[in-house]
Amino acid sequence: MHTLKKTRLAIFVGLLPSLIIYVGVAILPIILSLYYSLFNWDGISAKVFIGLDNFGDIFQDDIFWLSVKNNVIIMLTGLIGQLPLGLLLALLLNRSLKGNGFFRTVGFIPVVISSVMVSLIWGMIYNTEYGFLNSVLGVIGLEGWQRNWLGDPDWSMLSISLAYIWQNCGLYMIIFLAALQNISSEVNEAAELDGATGLRKVILITIPMIRATILVTVIYSISNSFRVFDLIQILTGGGPAHQTEVMTIYMYNNAFLSRQFGYGSAVSILILLFSLIVVVIANRVGREKD
Amino acid sequence: MTKKSPLYYIFAYLFLGVFALFNIIPIFYMIVGSFKTEQEYAASPFALPEVLQFSNYSKAWEVANMDVYFFNSLLITFISLIVTVMLGALAAFFLSRFEFKLRGALYGLFLLGMLIPIHATLIPIFMIMKNLSLLDTYLSLILPYTAFHLSLTIFILEGFMRSFPRDLEESGVMDGAGIYRIFWSIILPITRPAIATVVILNFIYNWNEYLFALVLISSESLKTLPLGIANFVGIETASLTLQMAALTIALVPIIIFYLLLQKQLVNGMVAGAVKG
Repeated sequence: MHTLKKTRLAIFVGLLPSLIIYVGVAILPIILSLYYSLFNWDGISAKVFIGLDNFGDIFQDDIFWLSVKNNVIIMLTGLIGQLPLGLLLALLLNRSLKGNGFFRTVGFIPVVISSVMVSLIWGMIYNTEYGFLNSVLGVIGLEGWQRNWLGDPDWSMLSISLAYIWQNCGLYMIIFLAALQNISSEVNEAAELDGATGLRKVILITIPMIRATILVTVIYSISNSFRVFDLIQILTGGGPAHQTEVMTIYMYNNAFLSRQFGYGSAVSILILLFSLIVVVIANRVGREKD
Repeated sequence: MTKKSPLYYIFAYLFLGVFALFNIIPIFYMIVGSFKTEQEYAASPFALPEVLQFSNYSKAWEVANMDVYFFNSLLITFISLIVTVMLGALAAFFLSRFEFKLRGALYGLFLLGMLIPIHATLIPIFMIMKNLSLLDTYLSLILPYTAFHLSLTIFILEGFMRSFPRDLEESGVMDGAGIYRIFWSIILPITRPAIATVVILNFIYNWNEYLFALVLISSESLKTLPLGIANFVGIETASLTLQMAALTIALVPIIIFYLLLQKQLVNGMVAGAVKG
């Protein structure tokens, strides 16, 4: 055996560099955020302590609540848009269809390319004058439907949601597919012997079998929805008139465009809190049914 | 398996076909558009180009500083990746193969990182980099990329290393090898499959990262590909075909990378999502 002292030193030396970088750049900032949130501060001049006033101001700001509402929309888009669509695709691909591999490959492309690329591609689709969508509508004679997809307050959030579905649906498809392929063929055969086929089998046998995976994807999808930033920052920057702002954009705009670092920090603490709370609740609800 | 009715197959293919088209058409449309002149595109956006206009590409490459962005992205991605995987593997080794007092607490601390939205750390990181005079340097991106991906890297590697039998190190101990020697020549080689996964994950996350770059980098000469291209498209709004060429240039390498390493990449990203 190694001498104890030598081992201890080796462990210490081995863990130290990771710890320094990790604690210094990922953990310490959370504590600093909490600290900054108590000040009125532009990041340059001296901090002025104002207690919890930032939080009070945030809760009285209609734009903040608008951004919370948009976060909920994005969350629901994930839960009712991406997840069922991904599950349906996985169920279809779980049979031996010709061209299976092709659909899987194509389905995952939007997941691999950066969210910046996704946003820029969709920016091209929604472009008012020369965009793909308006051009298609023009060709098929629906000029009346052409609009400024991202600039029209009635449509901007919907347009963003569609791009958001495009971006992530393939990931859920692959996750569900992996889970489906783990169901043993005996279960399927037994179900069919009992006369459970088609939709009945899917609802009664297949879905309960992949419950654990569904719970994981629900939690991932929720926590992902709080992290949406790139897509909206590039497509609309939160506009028109804050209509597509989510909490991360609200934080970014206040901190880095309006130079309100204390206020922005308070928002970022709320982002952290909200996402933790929702994830914990989803976890509870999911576990309780077991 | 029971035979499905033909109606089922018609529905399945129809649905999958629409989905595939939905995924491909935007990209295909962009690539076709990138070979057209601006007038050609404005007149008939769906027609194939009469002559393949490579001029968009040479112009985009020059105007958009694509070579600078590619170089910066490659450099930052690989340095962060190597540092993360080396430090992560070393930490995972000690966390999985040794018993010591703070082991559980340290492991928990590292896993905590997977719960933190990076947005909650953005302002302090900006201030830390500013105070260390690191703002607008390569290091200002390498440090957060490393810090935030250590969690997942350690999680995956620790789980893998833990599964090895206990007596694995004993032969090394018998030979009188030191702890670091055992790490390097016994543990690390057999961890290769898990290392491959974390390398691919780190690569794709770093290569695609935008938010930190947006906040921490301002010099044109230091911009990474996502930041540079987003800025270019924001400025060059007049010429859509030029934008399309620039986007295609940025897209092609990652698509090739994906098609070559599809299986590992898909498995890695699924593991990253499910565990993260």
